[in-house]
Amino acid sequence: MASADTEATGAGANSAVKLTALTPFKPELYDRAWQSIPHPTLPLIATAHEKSTTVFSLSTLTSHSTLSGGHTRSVRSVAWKPNLSPHKLCLVSGSFDSTAGLWRWEDEKKSTGDDLEVEITAASAGNDDSSDKDCAAEKDWEFALVLEGHDSEIKSVSFSPSGAYLATCSRDKSVWIWEDVGVNEDDDEWETVAVLNEHDGDVKAVAWCPDFSGSDSRSGGPRGRYSSDVLASASYDDTVRIWREDGDGEWVCVAVLEGHTGTVWGLQWEPKPEGTRFPRLLTWSADQTLRLWTLQEEDDDGEEENAPAPHAWGGLGGIPNTMRRSLKEDWECTATLPKAHTRDVYSAAWSADSARIASTGSDGVIAVYGEEPAAANSETSQDEAAVELDGDVQMGNSGKAKSAPPLYDMENSGHGPFEINHVTWCKRYDMGCAPERRGVEEMLVTTGDDGVVRPWQVS
Amino acid sequence: MDDNKDNANPTILTASELPTRQIKKKKTLASDADAKFADAVSRRPLFLSDPFCDVSWSDGTESEDDFVEEPIDEQEIYDLISNITDPEHPISLGQLAVVNLPDVEITPPPSTPCDPNALRRVLVKVTPTITHCSLATVLGLGVRVRLEQALPPNYRVDVVIKEGSHSQDDQVNKQLADKERVAAALENDTLKGVLDKMLETCI
Repeated sequence: MASADTEATGAGANSAVKLTALTPFKPELYDRAWQSIPHPTLPLIATAHEKSTTVFSLSTLTSHSTLSGGHTRSVRSVAWKPNLSPHKLCLVSGSFDSTAGLWRWEDEKKSTGDDLEVEITAASAGNDDSSDKDCAAEKDWEFALVLEGHDSEIKSVSFSPSGAYLATCSRDKSVWIWEDVGVNEDDDEWETVAVLNEHDGDVKAVAWCPDFSGSDSRSGGPRGRYSSDVLASASYDDTVRIWREDGDGEWVCVAVLEGHTGTVWGLQWEPKPEGTRFPRLLTWSADQTLRLWTLQEEDDDGEEENAPAPHAWGGLGGIPNTMRRSLKEDWECTATLPKAHTRDVYSAAWSADSARIASTGSDGVIAVYGEEPAAANSETSQDEAAVELDGDVQMGNSGKAKSAPPLYDMENSGHGPFEINHVTWCKRYDMGCAPERRGVEEMLVTTGDDGVVRPWQVS
Repeated sequence: MDDNKDNANPTILTASELPTRQIKKKKTLASDADAKFADAVSRRPLFLSDPFCDVSWSDGTESEDDFVEEPIDEQEIYDLISNITDPEHPISLGQLAVVNLPDVEITPPPSTPCDPNALRRVLVKVTPTITHCSLATVLGLGVRVRLEQALPPNYRVDVVIKEGSHSQDDQVNKQLADKERVAAALENDTLKGVLDKMLETCI
């Protein structure tokens, strides 16, 4: 059906984005899979399903390894620890058994070269990539540490950009922040640095704000009001909360984002904001909508005395310590994405490369939206894309950053009749991709109730 | 649970008074393995031409052509859930009028043909026996689980508490609509035990 669509409407060079289904990862998992998270740098993607996690190779589109035996109930969420050397892998799994597991995989024969590096090289050079695979699969994951503390199911886990912090959240309504206090990478010692209890319902997802070009100046200096790490959480109470660490090392809620009329299933920070603007936040919900939220930054002109550089945090000069908790950031919902879904939106993904957004959910629809970057993108025509939309849709009138990104394409029944639980962007490394495009070209990967993990070509 | 029933003397309908097509229809129901087998030998294997033949169907509870020829209607949905046993009484939800035929709604209606991947929504409004029934969530969960297990994967099951029949409908409805909570509940041994018992009486 995808190919038929491509034939029918993909004729013009300016046509909207088109999705084409690629062959699913093998083996299929045959039972509900919750999500698939690509490794930040290596050609690997980890899928949470039942009580285990299966890691697939993006080069071969087959299973690389399996993490099993660590949890007594379903694994709901996984996260790769960032910034590790290429021969080490570390993954955290959050489970309905109320624990999070920390797993490590290490290449023992470092002297002879790194399998994973070989794998990347082979893939990007276009060599046959079957030869190096077997040894990788032989190795095993070590279940290194259990993080215990939550009272009920863990719904989401997320590493801060540096890897120093891990956030977990649960049906117990709390968000926990754990800090890596080990003396080196192999020393698995984690401490709880905060337990955040302000949500009135299950916390469905947590996400750390990525490093961005403006983040140094925004942090207010080393003794500024807040450290540069920013965490957001989405909840069954229909709200999103934003958390920062203040000068006293206390994690405080600096904003409550209200607007969704159903459970907020998830959220993602803008991966590449324009200039030094603070990243926006994308949220999606059981109310069938996706929303964009923008921090209302104050003018730089120092109305505050001694205000440290341009900053966004409301200017605290001269305000006593004890009042800081009451100071909030002002976040506003600045756009609602065009309506594409008729049931809960379970997942969305915002590409750092193309700034496109993909969303999916209970209706099995995969929708792709695009936001024109400030510099006009010559190959896509926003007007044409907008033609597909219904009249009641808010669409960008002139491609301004604040308008809602128009809907580019919709794929109905992406996993046949099944619900789709997750969508993500990742790079292509497979043989179906031209060698010079490997590691560059983007694709979507969807994960469904049918246990299928399916890549999609986006063209 | 047994020593402190919320509703010790419910109104009970006689089973024979309940609307049903069970006797003559049950051979076409998903759970009947013989019927499935008979279909497989007597009919052209339609799945060969199915564009989604590479998609794994959870556990193949039925073959697709069943629905093309005989769409699932409200009565059939009702028959699937009316035999669920109340967690507090050894009586069925149909007899207790917790589930009622007029409170089953299928959209688009069964008479509209649609392709096997197109969604059909089944909305069931349940009426707990008393307004503060603490087991409303469990009742709803039983109905949702029963239908999800029995219906083909393009059916989306929404179970809500009938307006005005329960003091905390919104909370219960939200819980019942939450896929993640439902999934987690089924991994809870105690709750799973209760549900299994409720569904034991289903055919």
